[in-house]
Amino acid sequence: MEHDSFAKKVALITGSSRGIGNAIARRFAGAGCDVVVNYRKGGGASQRQGEALCGDLRSMGRRAELVQADISVKEPVSRMFEEIDKNFGRLDFLVLNAARAPFKPLEKLLERELRQLVETNFFGHLFCVQQALPMLAKTQGKVVFISSLGSRFYNPAYPLGSMKAAMECVVRDLAESLRDRKVAVNAICAGLTRTDSLKVLRQYWEGLDHLPERCFVEPDEIADVVLFLCGPESRGILGQTLIVDRGTSNRLHAFAAVS
Amino acid sequence: MAKEKFFGGFMQHLVSEERVIEETKKSIGESLRIDPASIAAENSLIQNLGAESLDFLDINYRLEQAFGIRIARHFVLEHVEELFGEGAAIDDKGCLTERGAQLLKIRLVDHQDVLKAGMELDQATALITVQSMARGIMDILSSLPESCPHCGGARWKSDDGARIGCGACGKDAVFRNGDELIQEWLKRVQEEQKIFPS
Repeated sequence: MEHDSFAKKVALITGSSRGIGNAIARRFAGAGCDVVVNYRKGGGASQRQGEALCGDLRSMGRRAELVQADISVKEPVSRMFEEIDKNFGRLDFLVLNAARAPFKPLEKLLERELRQLVETNFFGHLFCVQQALPMLAKTQGKVVFISSLGSRFYNPAYPLGSMKAAMECVVRDLAESLRDRKVAVNAICAGLTRTDSLKVLRQYWEGLDHLPERCFVEPDEIADVVLFLCGPESRGILGQTLIVDRGTSNRLHAFAAVS
Repeated sequence: MAKEKFFGGFMQHLVSEERVIEETKKSIGESLRIDPASIAAENSLIQNLGAESLDFLDINYRLEQAFGIRIARHFVLEHVEELFGEGAAIDDKGCLTERGAQLLKIRLVDHQDVLKAGMELDQATALITVQSMARGIMDILSSLPESCPHCGGARWKSDDGARIGCGACGKDAVFRNGDELIQEWLKRVQEEQKIFPS
């Protein structure tokens, strides 16, 4: 991909101290972007890994800033975008990667768990888009939402899937309503990716670890497609969800073997 | 509880408490990328070692593989709310209720002084230590049945001091799962102390 498409531009990736978000942040920095790394909870592994990530990005010659903000709450989201405006003066790419959900069957979710599910994984992304819009409109920026196969397949104790499905509709909706402002919105539907989050699924999905290796996607493979969707080569794609799962969802039998 | 009843005798020959603590430190160390030698039994996983909820799941998975057990997927307060209704242990601000605090003082005996109504849930889960995690594992190991459900054999062995198998047919021992044990404990405590309205 053309280096000039990303040089001196600014990307915010929510929930990027770990996992897929971390890989996306590295990929943007590798392409020439300055990066804002967002995480939710201070004092723990996320902060530590976020600081290490920013250190790595700076040693690549990029500006990198770590911003703590719980996207489910409007005030911290506003402050995060104020900080980006103040420190960088622009935003070109918004990657909606953060996710947080309880792991229980839907019918067992308590009210506060239902609220947390919707507030982070639906409200949170919309808060980010709304707050980012003034800056994104100036740069004709791009938004990419990170979805998962849970949007279209059942996973045990995975209510997050319903929010992923909702957000894939939001992507289509926003792509149309933001046409006039020339802000492109798309999504990636990620397959089974070996991150810390996948370790959650293996607690509830017997046999996950025994699926063939070809079923698992590397975080870098997701990151590459995110970068593509933010570059000029993807200008013909709008409001779409691209599945990046090494073709796992092509076949029924890969999932039929497990209960 | 479990320690006095079981770990002083029969279970100690198969899996020692020292081994349980060693494996717990090892799993935490691998997951959080910390030297196990630097981990103390009284360390809080969240406050002292910087663990987050995702890390707990990874640590638990490693321990499940080490001991052949199934650790509880849900914290005791979540079980309280499943059994006695939402709001029984945690209020709508995410803080411990009086009854929730009363219950936790029984469960987390080492932290009775700090457990109070009005405490945020995050502060309560920050009380989980290496030692309390190890105790949870010992509780599960103590549910080892008298005889093997596969062959009826009554002799257990452990080749590595961690995984228990049948001395007759060689199959892995099957234990009660951690969530079931918590629910049983809760029902017993409720019967004895009647903390929550029925």
